[in-house]
Amino acid sequence: MRSIQTTIVFPLSSVKPLDGQQRYRERCLAEARKALRRGVQWRRECPACALTLEAFGDVEGLDYVRCPGCGSLFLAPMAAASDWALALKEVTRYRQSKDAFHAGITQSRYENVLAPKLDWIQSTLRLQQVSQPRLLEVATPPSDVEELLEESGLFSEVVAIDEMDLVAAPATPEHPAGFFDGVLMLESLDRVSDPAALLRALSSRLVAGGLLFVTALVSSGFDVAVLGLRNLYLYPPDRANCFSRRGLELLLTRAGFTLLEVSTPGVLDVEIVQAHLRQIPSLILSGFERQLLAATAETQAAFQAFLQQHGMSSFARVVARKRP
Amino acid sequence: MNCLLFGYGYMGRIRHRILRTHPDVKMITIVDPALDPATEGLDGSLLSPGEQVPWREVDAVFVCTPNNVTANLCIEGLTQCGHVFCEKPPGRSWEDFCRIAEAAESVPRHTLVFGFNHRLHPAVQAANAMIGKGGLGDILYIKGTYGKSGGTRYRESWRNDRRISGGGILLDQGIHMVDLLQLFLGPLTVTDAVLTDSFWNCGVEDNAFVLLRSEQGVPAFLHSSATLWKHTFRLEIGCRDGYLMVNGLLSQTGSYGREELVIGKRQFEDEALALGNPREEIVYFDRDESWDKEIDEFLAAVKERRSPTHGTLEDARRAMQVIRDVYALTERPGLSRRR
Repeated sequence: MRSIQTTIVFPLSSVKPLDGQQRYRERCLAEARKALRRGVQWRRECPACALTLEAFGDVEGLDYVRCPGCGSLFLAPMAAASDWALALKEVTRYRQSKDAFHAGITQSRYENVLAPKLDWIQSTLRLQQVSQPRLLEVATPPSDVEELLEESGLFSEVVAIDEMDLVAAPATPEHPAGFFDGVLMLESLDRVSDPAALLRALSSRLVAGGLLFVTALVSSGFDVAVLGLRNLYLYPPDRANCFSRRGLELLLTRAGFTLLEVSTPGVLDVEIVQAHLRQIPSLILSGFERQLLAATAETQAAFQAFLQQHGMSSFARVVARKRP
Repeated sequence: MNCLLFGYGYMGRIRHRILRTHPDVKMITIVDPALDPATEGLDGSLLSPGEQVPWREVDAVFVCTPNNVTANLCIEGLTQCGHVFCEKPPGRSWEDFCRIAEAAESVPRHTLVFGFNHRLHPAVQAANAMIGKGGLGDILYIKGTYGKSGGTRYRESWRNDRRISGGGILLDQGIHMVDLLQLFLGPLTVTDAVLTDSFWNCGVEDNAFVLLRSEQGVPAFLHSSATLWKHTFRLEIGCRDGYLMVNGLLSQTGSYGREELVIGKRQFEDEALALGNPREEIVYFDRDESWDKEIDEFLAAVKERRSPTHGTLEDARRAMQVIRDVYALTERPGLSRRR
């Protein structure tokens, strides 16, 4: 298995400014509450470890539970799949509208978020000697990257499917079971109502030996571990699930995948904690954490590199292969 | 398959461990006259002194012995069985190698593989995938450094006794780097070389500095050393559109450090803020499957009666030609001299 460190550097403000995203967060919480009002089921078992989940706290009154085994976090109540799908579509629509903060940083998000992901996929395909695969992109429609994937010339075919539809949707004659050589899931596992079911469903669409590309926010990463539920980037429906790195590994392994790469090449952990401290001066942090936040840019960069090297940043990416 | 293993030293034990769990291997017989039959883990597989080698029952031979007997055992294995896996180096000298090659040519449908496992290390394979159409373009140059510190028992080792080994660090460890340079660049010719024996004074080189050139004119430089007090494996590959650095090597002891591949893409001022400091990605590897892959490939080639894909006679010939030419150029008796 391999892991990856990167020297790419960009500021938080260029991809997800904390100040700017308050309205988006409020909208997300409102949509999540709306979906949950239509009826809930309580999530009691970790999909990665099958251990009983424990109470952990709440985000604006919405309870989160934690797995005592792998440390993954989950929104405790979950709406019916169709209601959750509506909430996800609604917040995606809002995120892509002119009102959302994302509109002003489209170009820098392309350069710092999307383009490196394409590079990652391209490098992986080369390393795995896979040429012109048929790719299934699992996302909340409309996808941010479908067009980019198609224009890249890396794939013989790109098909995007709603992550909330995949479990129920049958394979079609056009795209039968075992049709795709690769599946891309950018943070889908963070938001779907049943991550294990999603993995089973997409696995059935993948050819044996096919590749799965996953990105996720992980609870074992520095900023989530330090801030916990005070982390303003952790809210439903986008982060209804926040697996730990270990949890993610277990989930994928148990779903029949062999891990080829597990990396946490995040570059923003320290800056995220810093931004939170600016916004919430009363934030309780340890002496070490405050010392780190007061250190020079060079020290912070070295610490961020350490987090990457040792799988301790909160942005995770995984490449897995479907076992025969 | 019934496998016969000559030599149960450092490499023999590694091969034995892999063969024991290989699904195609039914039985392993070990031949090592220096071995105590009470040695743990042999499970009664050691051939007793004076007992004849049961050649009729042997499907594949592994030669894991000191260099002075490599050629004879390889030839015997080829003649008697036809399928031989031989540790590097392929003999003590060019002459030893030629004897092996001649024997191989006289055995139709033989399988002969040499242990150049570094080709199969994950960082090397990943680097190879990035070159050319892999995204970084053609190679402009390569520099390889491979070295160890020797240690207190260095002088006692058969590896540094020319009568047994045939050469010093270049032939012993450096041959892996020669093989890797040729993996990336194809056949190389020796342009210049300096060998020294300035610390260990064993009568064989403890440092080799070799300048090479490919058929397309691409230069390569190799430093093989027994005086690198910090164990080092480093391969720097400069390409038209970027660069690669393999640092560290997954090994039994871990002394060469974490195996990593640095991938950098060329960026001029129009693409990056600081010229000469491009974005890099560092890939870390945590599993060395090179030993298993090597044995898998050899046994598969035997089973399927096909040619092996790596560690071939031709790979070995090219490596030994370079070493022959370096030794000729530097005239071994006065190691630091060169023409």
